[in-house]
Amino acid sequence: MTGQRHERTPGARANPRAVLLGTLAFGLGLPLLLFAAVLVLSPLSRPVMAAALVRWLGQALGTGWEPSAWSATGQQLLYGVSIALLAVVLVSFGAVVSGMTVWWEMRVSSRMQSRVGYNRVGAAGFFQWVADAVKLLFKEDLVPADADHALFRAAPYFVLVGFALVFVALPFGESLVAADLDVGVFYVVSVTALVVVGILLAGWSSNSKWALFGGMRSAAQVISYEIPAGIAILVPVMLAGTLSLQGIIRAQGPWPWQWFALATPAGPLAFLVFFVAQLAEGNRTPFDLPEAESELVAGYLSEYSSFRFALYFLVEFGNLWVMAALAVTLFLGGWQVPFAGPEAFAAARGTAVLPAAGWWGLQILSMGVFAVKTLLVVNLIVWVRWTLPRIRVDQMMTLCWKYLVPFAFAALAVTMVWQIVVSRAPAVGDATGLVLTAAALLLGAAFLRKTFRNVAAAHDRVDLTNW
Amino acid sequence: MEKLILRKIEAGREEMILNFGPQHPSTHGVINLLVETDGEVLRRAIPDVGYLHRGLEKIGEQVGYPGFMPFTDRIDYVAAMFPNEGWATAVERLLGIEAPPRAQWLRAISCELCRIASHLVSVGTMAMDIGAFTPMLHGIREREKVNDLLEALCGARLTYNYHRIGGVAFDLPEGWRDECLRFLDHFDAFLSEFDRLISWNELYVRRLAGIAVVSREQAISFGLSGPNLRGSGVDFDLRRDMPYGSWALPDFTKAVRLEVPVGKGFVGKTGDCFDRYYVRCLEMKVSARLVREALASIPEGEIAAKVPRKVKPEPGEVMSRIESARGEMAFYVVSDGTDKAYRVRVRTGSFTGMGIVEELSRGLMLADLVALIASLDVVAPEIDR
Amino acid sequence: MSQAFREYAAPVVRTFTSIWDGLSITLSHLLRRPTTIQYPDRTPISVRDMLPPRYRGFLEVDAAICTGCQACERACPISVIAIAVEKDPAQGNQRVVTQFDIDLAKCMFCGLCVEPCPTGSIQHTREFEGSQRHVRNLVVRWADPLKPFPVYKVPKGADHHPRAPLGSLVRAKMEWQRWDAPAPEFLPPEPKVAAPAVPAAIPAAAATAPPAAASAAPSTSPTVKEEPKP
Repeated sequence: MTGQRHERTPGARANPRAVLLGTLAFGLGLPLLLFAAVLVLSPLSRPVMAAALVRWLGQALGTGWEPSAWSATGQQLLYGVSIALLAVVLVSFGAVVSGMTVWWEMRVSSRMQSRVGYNRVGAAGFFQWVADAVKLLFKEDLVPADADHALFRAAPYFVLVGFALVFVALPFGESLVAADLDVGVFYVVSVTALVVVGILLAGWSSNSKWALFGGMRSAAQVISYEIPAGIAILVPVMLAGTLSLQGIIRAQGPWPWQWFALATPAGPLAFLVFFVAQLAEGNRTPFDLPEAESELVAGYLSEYSSFRFALYFLVEFGNLWVMAALAVTLFLGGWQVPFAGPEAFAAARGTAVLPAAGWWGLQILSMGVFAVKTLLVVNLIVWVRWTLPRIRVDQMMTLCWKYLVPFAFAALAVTMVWQIVVSRAPAVGDATGLVLTAAALLLGAAFLRKTFRNVAAAHDRVDLTNW
Repeated sequence: MEKLILRKIEAGREEMILNFGPQHPSTHGVINLLVETDGEVLRRAIPDVGYLHRGLEKIGEQVGYPGFMPFTDRIDYVAAMFPNEGWATAVERLLGIEAPPRAQWLRAISCELCRIASHLVSVGTMAMDIGAFTPMLHGIREREKVNDLLEALCGARLTYNYHRIGGVAFDLPEGWRDECLRFLDHFDAFLSEFDRLISWNELYVRRLAGIAVVSREQAISFGLSGPNLRGSGVDFDLRRDMPYGSWALPDFTKAVRLEVPVGKGFVGKTGDCFDRYYVRCLEMKVSARLVREALASIPEGEIAAKVPRKVKPEPGEVMSRIESARGEMAFYVVSDGTDKAYRVRVRTGSFTGMGIVEELSRGLMLADLVALIASLDVVAPEIDR
Repeated sequence: MSQAFREYAAPVVRTFTSIWDGLSITLSHLLRRPTTIQYPDRTPISVRDMLPPRYRGFLEVDAAICTGCQACERACPISVIAIAVEKDPAQGNQRVVTQFDIDLAKCMFCGLCVEPCPTGSIQHTREFEGSQRHVRNLVVRWADPLKPFPVYKVPKGADHHPRAPLGSLVRAKMEWQRWDAPAPEFLPPEPKVAAPAVPAAIPAAAATAPPAAASAAPSTSPTVKEEPKP
């Protein structure tokens, strides 16, 4: 009987190399595919370009389509279809990114807890999130009899929309942005507030006391922490002089002493306030009261099952990524590639209508830089989640109003003063950046030394095996 | 319960009455609490226990004295050596026999190891209830090592059935002493790391300091025992003040040095949740040292006294009190001269611990209720038996 | 003034230092080897061989050295062992064991049966893998009623008795039948309807209830009265 059992174990039969290659193909291929679709579709979704594409298609197929000769409704329809396609691709991209963030978080957190974590479904358990999503789809979709049916069904979509809309304005690379809005920052902050609506609706419409508790706690939390987050965001806005996200990134540089987090004396403080406030907005420990598992089981999500639950789950982990992406954009230099300033991009572009291959290579490089930086910040958020306990409602409010808001205002004031000083003496600016970067490196080195000391104190070794 | 709820609904009050449990990740076992709350702040929380009642005391009347030993494991399966010792001590007193010294030392060693294992679960789950998931898993990892040791000693990881009437079942196997000492060397380092990770984390301290303060008088009048009592500043430990088993042997008390950690308001007030939590952390350190010292000077000898095959004590009654991980565990056994007990009554620390929840829960916040129950270290099997 | 500032600033400083400490500890765990043992397919040696020798797994009986004393049956507090010893007239009134059933599903692995065995015939092994679809298949029969084994005569002054390798017998028994083997047929079938709401006969209430009981009985127990299948 034990022999029979071993035969039936899935991992033992499949060729490990095939599994690894398949996982890599899916894991890298799918987001790249979706991303390429975003790249191609975003310029094409403008009416002129859409019309040009349809004309070209008509020529290729032999039918003489001339969109400019269509009726007004026809042209609007064409525009609508192209926008809809782009939206679908963006939301899918967001979903895939969120799923992969789940995987990354679970793997990293498992090792912190001395366990291995997902490692059966796909190489290193990569497809576990797919399996979880499929499982959630197959569950029974329960709507409680006493719940407010319309609101209960609508709530997850508010949350999903609030999450997906951020992807429209996030700059993934030098020219890789779905829509480079002039008011990018303002847009992002307002759109993420839709999540609050979704949470409140979920808590209220579930018609369950526990869910209501969770919803109200969460609403209080998110709304309160919008204030310090907004004030902290004003620091990079002031330093860059624009609300556009691409503009803020372009105002920074590729090197750490040119990042807004380290270029000004208030940079670290503003980054810290922003980071903590974003943790609170994303309902992450230490601010995960609304979903405190030990107290309310799932808080405002208690009554949700199947696909609706999957949506909340997806948005929570996607928000993780979005938080990190925002932090990277605003404070850590975004996609800026070292040694490749704007001249390098312009030179690589060439003068033809379509940019040269070198330009595309640089774009991919900038996307890679952005992805790596975002991953590092995601790691930081995950790390904080699995180290710290949760704080109580009243302590959370105290933290926000008595600590974060004053600190944020202080950062703003210092930045204003510093900007005046730098306009008189530019050397101060560079010096500050270098000094702060050196301090950060020293702190990092001290931290690493402490970490290795911890390993030795536990009579253990650094050992990266047992995946 | 139903009357209470109906009364409230009729009175049209604003408060909600919620069921906290019985299926709930943070009540330690299947315990139900009826929580009357007005928003976040509770009016009171009424414990509703009995979901894990298995009739163990009734079983004690049916299986005979040696046969009841495996059932004592199930009285508190998180720290199963203590009820084992309690039952063995009670029946030995009824029979008028005494276990040989080596057996008593082995009982003490296994009990102190079990205390470490139980406190690891207790502090780990407390950290998890407060929201820090990682320290719990680290604690469980160490508990696995203790379980491995006890598995090598008696063959089981949770329901040990190691003590017997008259002594213990097995002697130390080859190499066990070295294995145990190696674990203890590593365990002290783990404890200091655990402290730095969670005990002194400012967020954790703020969650527990000054919450649900139990004064000395309250603790004594509600009958708390063990770390709950000591957390309130009462310096009372059965091992020192009412010695039983090996703690009554002069050789043993000379070889090991018992320290009794007492709460003194480490970060807040004496008797708050943090005190009860930290007393357990300190007790783990003390137990590790006790095991080391006991292993160094354990005497040779037999491991069990001669006990008749059919255990038929003289009619009478006896009470044995053991300092268990969760408080005082007392066995009251009445014998009627046959080979089956007439009455077995087990008094456990968790049962009295639950008794204080209603009183302390007035005016607490929901998150603090979770902290309170976790700090009292109640487990359902002990409450319900 | 400075007191207020200290009260304001001290928690901030403590928060930073304790979080710094905590983060370094979790990072150090990230770099260390996880302690997961990936049972059952990614262990260096099988888990059964990693267990200590005293491990209390499935019970095993070596019939060759069983003396039929039934001490284990008497010691078990939950009556997991069922032994029947008879005298076999065909072999000169030799005592033979016709039934030695151990219900592994009910066993609590306490070890109380192992201790009184005079020859060490019944032992706990290190086997623990024995899932069966039907719980009745977990009753292991160490004696065949159609071919009972004679009891072992303990040689005078013997201090150890030859025994099969520990675990080999019970492993053979568990591997002999498939995990989804059907349940044994010579036990009565499960009743097909739910238990009747009114008991068929209540003696105490018989004075007033006989008409009700008489009318209820035929309708409520059609299947309970079925003959067990041979």
